[in-house]
Amino acid sequence: MSIFYLIVQQTMFFTIPLLVVALGGMFTERGGVTNIALDGTMIIGAFAGILFINQTQDTMSGTTQLLLAMLVAVGIGIIFSLFLAFSAINMKADQIIGGTALNLFAPAFAIFAARTIQTNGVQQIQFNNTFRISKVPVLGDIPFIGDMFFKSCYITTYIGILILLVATFVLYKTKFGLRLRSCGEHPQAADSVGINVYRMRYSGVMISGALGGLGGLIFVIPTSTSFNADVAGYGFLALAVMICGQWKPMRIFIVSIFFGSMKALAASYSAVPFLANAPITSDFYKMVPFIATLIVMAFTSKNSRAPKAVAQPYDKGSR
Amino acid sequence: MKKVLVLLLALSMVLCFFGCGSNDDGEEAATDTFEVAMVTDTGTIDDKSFNQGTWEGVKEFAEDNDLTYKYYQPTEDSADARMEQIDLAVTNGAKVVATPGFLFEDTIFEAQDKYPDVKFILIDGNPHDADYNYRTEDNAVGILFAEEEVGYLAGYSAVKEGYTKLGFMGGMAVPPVVRYGYGYVKGANDAAKEMGIDVEMKYHYTGGFTASPDIQTKAASWYAAGTEVIFSCGGGIFDSISAAAESSEADVIGVDVDQSSQSDTVITSAMKGLKVAVVKALEAYKNDEFPGGEAWVLGAKEDGIALAMETSQFEVFTQEDYDALYEELISGDIKIPVDTDVESAKDIDVTNVTVEIVE
Repeated sequence: MSIFYLIVQQTMFFTIPLLVVALGGMFTERGGVTNIALDGTMIIGAFAGILFINQTQDTMSGTTQLLLAMLVAVGIGIIFSLFLAFSAINMKADQIIGGTALNLFAPAFAIFAARTIQTNGVQQIQFNNTFRISKVPVLGDIPFIGDMFFKSCYITTYIGILILLVATFVLYKTKFGLRLRSCGEHPQAADSVGINVYRMRYSGVMISGALGGLGGLIFVIPTSTSFNADVAGYGFLALAVMICGQWKPMRIFIVSIFFGSMKALAASYSAVPFLANAPITSDFYKMVPFIATLIVMAFTSKNSRAPKAVAQPYDKGSR
Repeated sequence: MKKVLVLLLALSMVLCFFGCGSNDDGEEAATDTFEVAMVTDTGTIDDKSFNQGTWEGVKEFAEDNDLTYKYYQPTEDSADARMEQIDLAVTNGAKVVATPGFLFEDTIFEAQDKYPDVKFILIDGNPHDADYNYRTEDNAVGILFAEEEVGYLAGYSAVKEGYTKLGFMGGMAVPPVVRYGYGYVKGANDAAKEMGIDVEMKYHYTGGFTASPDIQTKAASWYAAGTEVIFSCGGGIFDSISAAAESSEADVIGVDVDQSSQSDTVITSAMKGLKVAVVKALEAYKNDEFPGGEAWVLGAKEDGIALAMETSQFEVFTQEDYDALYEELISGDIKIPVDTDVESAKDIDVTNVTVEIVE
């Protein structure tokens, strides 16, 4: 049974970063800007957050430090995304090229900066993981559910769920969400009724930067003891999750759980008695999320609802 | 508004350049030529493992002997890229080039002919061409380590310490990693035999030398299924395995260099004398006795391997036990299978270890 709990816990380590980053991607695309720099944003966010932890770990530890590091990651993620916003919205540049440039820039910058800032001159940034909560009080005592979700966990899991709820609410139930969506569907129409398209798009990109940076940090913390300018391509995986989830928060949540559990299974199946003996190799589990994405795409492409004006620069003159 | 933004962006970039640029590397400023060169393999100079160990040897020797030194890092993982860096090193005046990693085997095979006046120290391999025809010229030396011996020490000590469920995670099934693994299995077996117990061993190659969340999950699942200690055998994968060990309150055995400073979960490390090897070869070079054409194998006899005992967390397995075992290794009484002896860890002749290969 303990192996089952372990897989659920490990699934969360994969799912929550994917969820958070994919939600970030959703916001920017719903506003009409493609942000394929999510991978780079994750790297920069993780870099800033881990560096913060590394520099302050003599004076603080535990959840307070983690929350502060998350704020740092969010802040730096927003700043990083402004580069994309500026090129895509103000300069009307091709969004894919701008995003690619940022993706190339991020790991190089993280290595360079880590070597420059750290006194020992190495590119890996070590951190002490003092953030694991071995058991949440009260909730951890609930049989079964407590073992699955409230033991050996990180506060980031709950923050991720909270972000999902807030994102759903903001996107569908607020004035801001409606306006943002309109800018992704038909910016000219939105402009004609007095919505500032540039401002809405800037907001969308900045939200993606914030969530991307945060996602990077919460991806690295449970799975390593040092940060090496790499998030294993999870930014791109998050884009796949977003598309597979059809730009809808709850679907994105379901897809990211699916991706996360398959990732966890692929790595841990050898410890599960009945799976270890089954004639299925780990490669199969690794393939499943991607094959599923392809199948879903093939069957839903007719109804696939990408925001209509996504990736098109908005030009006031061209209505 | 737009102008202000542009100005801000430009300013921030300029500031960043100044801020980052001021911190020059002091060591490179002295002269324009560098007599002792090192070329890294796929990792970086600070991999806390292979390249770093070699680099420390190069640095120490060069500083003690007032020689100029510099390292070069290939831009990508290819023979051409490695050759480029050797070209660059020679252009920069290198007279002796140290290259860690078996990946350099065919590169040095070419380089030894291309630069007959330059000495090459190949650590962890011997020069050969694409068809594995070995040939070492007078200006090159190949240095191997008896990894199976230190793997043996690790496996033996772990079982003596009381661990009965062991794990082995290697980076890739390349000869040095395989030798570590086989020695580990054999050592665990011999200790178990002496104690009259049975031990279990999970055996796996991760397929790379870099950290990944998948490896962390795999290690965590092993720990959850009862594995008590994992021998992390491959550079960067250590980060993932130690992260899993920390959350599972389990243990890790480090590799190549003493990794105890990186995590409290490290009970000991199986160390190669990278520094010993480089310094030994460089000293020979300095004294004009360069062992050109030779192929060294550094084992217990040459002090080329060791278990990190000073920083170990052993309570049962003592220094005396270790010394006695080390003597036995030196005497050559212990027969340990190596990579060329058996196909798979499953085929090792053991009585008290159940090896389970995890694909």
